[in-house]
Amino acid sequence: MFIRKKWIRLFGLGLVTVALALLAAGCGGSKKSSSSDTTSNASSGSSSGKTYPLLRVTWDAPDYMDPALAYTVAAWQLNWYVYEGLLGYKHESGAAGQTLVPYLAKSMPTVSADGKDLKFQLRDNLKYSDGTPVKASDFRASIERLYKVDSPGVGFFSAIQGADQFSTTKKGHITGIVTNDSTGSIEVKLAHPEGDILYILATQFASILPAKTPASDQSTKGIPSTGPYMVQKYVPSRSFVLVRNPHYNNQIPTMPSGNPDKVTGTIITDPVAAYQSVLGGKSDYDFQPIPNDRLGEAQNKYKDQLRIYTAANTYYYFLNNKLAPFNNIKARQAVEWGIDRNAIINGVYGGLGRPTENFLPPDYQQYQKISDYHYDLAKAKQLAKASGTTGQTVDVYGPNEDPSKASTEYLASQLTKLGWKPKLHLLSHQVYFTTIGNQATKAQAGFTDWYQDYPHPVDWFDVLLNGNRITQTHNNNYGNVDVKAVNDQIEKLKKVTKLDTATNNSWAKVDKDLIVTYATTVPYMNRSATDFFSPQVDMSCYSFHVLGQWDFGVSCMK
Amino acid sequence: MATESSTDFTLDTAAALAAEEGGAIEGRSPWALAWRRLRRNYVALAFLLLFVVIVVCCALAPVYAHRIAHTDPNANHLGETFPRDGKQVPIISKGGFTGSTFKAGGVPVGPQLWHAGGRYVFGADNQGRDVAVRLLYGGVNSLKVGIGSALICTLLAVVLALLSGYYGGWVDWIISRFFDLIWAFPVLLLAIALGTALSINGFHHFGISIESGSLWIPTLVISYVLIPYIGRPMRGQILSLREKEFVEAATAQGAGAPRIMFGEVLPNIASSVLVFFTLIIANNILTEAGLSFLGAGVQPPNPSWGTLIAEGQDRIQTAPWLAIIPGIAIVLTVLSLNVFGDGLRDALDPRAKVRMDR
Repeated sequence: MFIRKKWIRLFGLGLVTVALALLAAGCGGSKKSSSSDTTSNASSGSSSGKTYPLLRVTWDAPDYMDPALAYTVAAWQLNWYVYEGLLGYKHESGAAGQTLVPYLAKSMPTVSADGKDLKFQLRDNLKYSDGTPVKASDFRASIERLYKVDSPGVGFFSAIQGADQFSTTKKGHITGIVTNDSTGSIEVKLAHPEGDILYILATQFASILPAKTPASDQSTKGIPSTGPYMVQKYVPSRSFVLVRNPHYNNQIPTMPSGNPDKVTGTIITDPVAAYQSVLGGKSDYDFQPIPNDRLGEAQNKYKDQLRIYTAANTYYYFLNNKLAPFNNIKARQAVEWGIDRNAIINGVYGGLGRPTENFLPPDYQQYQKISDYHYDLAKAKQLAKASGTTGQTVDVYGPNEDPSKASTEYLASQLTKLGWKPKLHLLSHQVYFTTIGNQATKAQAGFTDWYQDYPHPVDWFDVLLNGNRITQTHNNNYGNVDVKAVNDQIEKLKKVTKLDTATNNSWAKVDKDLIVTYATTVPYMNRSATDFFSPQVDMSCYSFHVLGQWDFGVSCMK
Repeated sequence: MATESSTDFTLDTAAALAAEEGGAIEGRSPWALAWRRLRRNYVALAFLLLFVVIVVCCALAPVYAHRIAHTDPNANHLGETFPRDGKQVPIISKGGFTGSTFKAGGVPVGPQLWHAGGRYVFGADNQGRDVAVRLLYGGVNSLKVGIGSALICTLLAVVLALLSGYYGGWVDWIISRFFDLIWAFPVLLLAIALGTALSINGFHHFGISIESGSLWIPTLVISYVLIPYIGRPMRGQILSLREKEFVEAATAQGAGAPRIMFGEVLPNIASSVLVFFTLIIANNILTEAGLSFLGAGVQPPNPSWGTLIAEGQDRIQTAPWLAIIPGIAIVLTVLSLNVFGDGLRDALDPRAKVRMDR
């Protein structure tokens, strides 16, 4: 094997090695996540009326196309125009896009004084894409189906009366959802008031599907839809085709009816390949973020085809508040002071991000800028030393793909500078969050991020930092943040249905308490991302939605 | 191929060699003869020298890092500057948002050679780490894994081949099936699977505990998957040697099996083992680079030439040196070992040399 044909082998070895280096250009990839607006001149979210035959897009891989299971931006952004619920969002850029409007409901619900009873009325003559009528009982069946398919969204609906019981038995019906098919009325009864219930009912999980939809993943089979489009074909990890819903008839006047007659998507997860696909004229849109390496080129050569937005997201390092050394507040404060937020954004993310110390993103009306930490390594070292924990080993976790990997390496490097002995664990994206969400892992610090499910502070503080919601497995509170005073405040605020100034200030105080008073977590960035288009796309129609991201339904061609 | 190579390494008798080399070998041992031939092969010696230089440079990594570059291999320098020509130069180009205007940044400084007093000779990576320092430390890790796995692999393969070839019968059957079992999987895929699994949780069985991230993991994985590549041809040679008169003579004198295997047979395959060992180091360095490139070898932040190429892949357009420089290091190391290995084979196996000369 190693003896004969030596020169052929020598050349082969050289070529393989050189190929490794060159192949590097075409390999790897990172994942895009979510959305909001910024530097783009976003147009109105309403339909421009400029219909055209075909939109070709390069897309990230959806986890599922079944709305009960889908929990990625790649899926939600498509399904936004396919599967609709009682409520949805205005298709407009900027803060206006956070406004809830009735979709399949005739109007916004009537809410009882105690906030525990919501009454909806379905619009008249609603039809699925297969021509069958939409019934009120389909809503209940759709929520019940979430439990039957073990949807990741079931937790959102636990406030509905009888939902917890149904989650264990999966038999009968959820008692808190009362429907009448003849009148089209839907009543949702809550066990206790939920401040974010309307936003929850506007998520994809609350999409109304035919009651007979099997309780299993229907991603590739297609479910009759109520939106302007229907899924004609979906081949996981390869492609999808959306076509117009033949029975739509503009049945949801509060959303655009869509400009492209057909949307063909090629799933490319490698950002370089996705970018090349648009440059090569094979696609009109690149879902993936342009790689840092090509960002300068895109900005200089294709400026008109590029839009940059900063999503409603927060990238942060979790520090395990229950395990040494970070059960010591001084140790946590040391990390807060020892992280150079601007340097991470510049070096690791190519400048595509904005530094933050808040947990809540700046788009929120509850946001009050925190500016208490400034990179000061000397002070950080002092705090670390004062904590008496230096020299301890710290298990640092992160994903094994850049830029998240590089961000985790930065954290480990800074911990070394502060006197700890970090041990790096880099895991595949597929298992990363499950692993760090398992208490048995005993992750002491690491990388994480969060993109909003809906624009309400509950989706941040209650889901991620409420100590009452810490679980043994599938824990979203990776740092086991558990401050009783703050927990109580979150529990109180999450029941408040009206977001007035006082409530917003209280949420802002929760943010400040968690980050400054208790230094529980280290937010460092609101990440920005790119939308890149072919020259054929008319950028005057570009609209970016706070949840739906690029609003492909209102796109138009030159 | 294994069968062919098994006959290539038999040392000729003194008479046969005398015939080929004009009677100048009388009174000299086979090793002395091999050394004499190797000394004449200047190309092989030049590449041996190149390999030695690479090893020495890597061994001096801590000296270079702390005395000249003033940094550690894993220490980031994001947001910092360094002096060049009396000016402070940012290690990473600045970008980001000014209001709503965005400017792309994050491009690390390129190779400075000796213009920055020995800092950033080969530039910086996206964490502001000194590429030259990481290249040298990466070389240490790559060589440790390459040489370590070659040693373990060769040792295990030779022992198994001796047992298999000498005893034959059911011992041979079991060991041969073991080789078949490993060979049933594509080598790289098996290595990736093992490397990935072990790099997550480490190995904690049979009283052995290896932490994830340890260099022992790629070393042992590579050793394991390549055992048949040495074991099979060695077994073939030993099967042949077992029938030779000197083995019969030793048996007749009452020598036991261990004595015959290690005292009689092993010296007769030593030249083959040596050549295999040299060449498999090169192969293992390449395998390590491949595994590390795919995340199944040396684990970050520890550098190896494979991880350095992987880290450079995202910057191939704006900072090509990040991938090219470790690639060159691999090429030079593998080339030097292969050319030297071929020279060594020619020295130890004159028949092969004669064949080549034709």
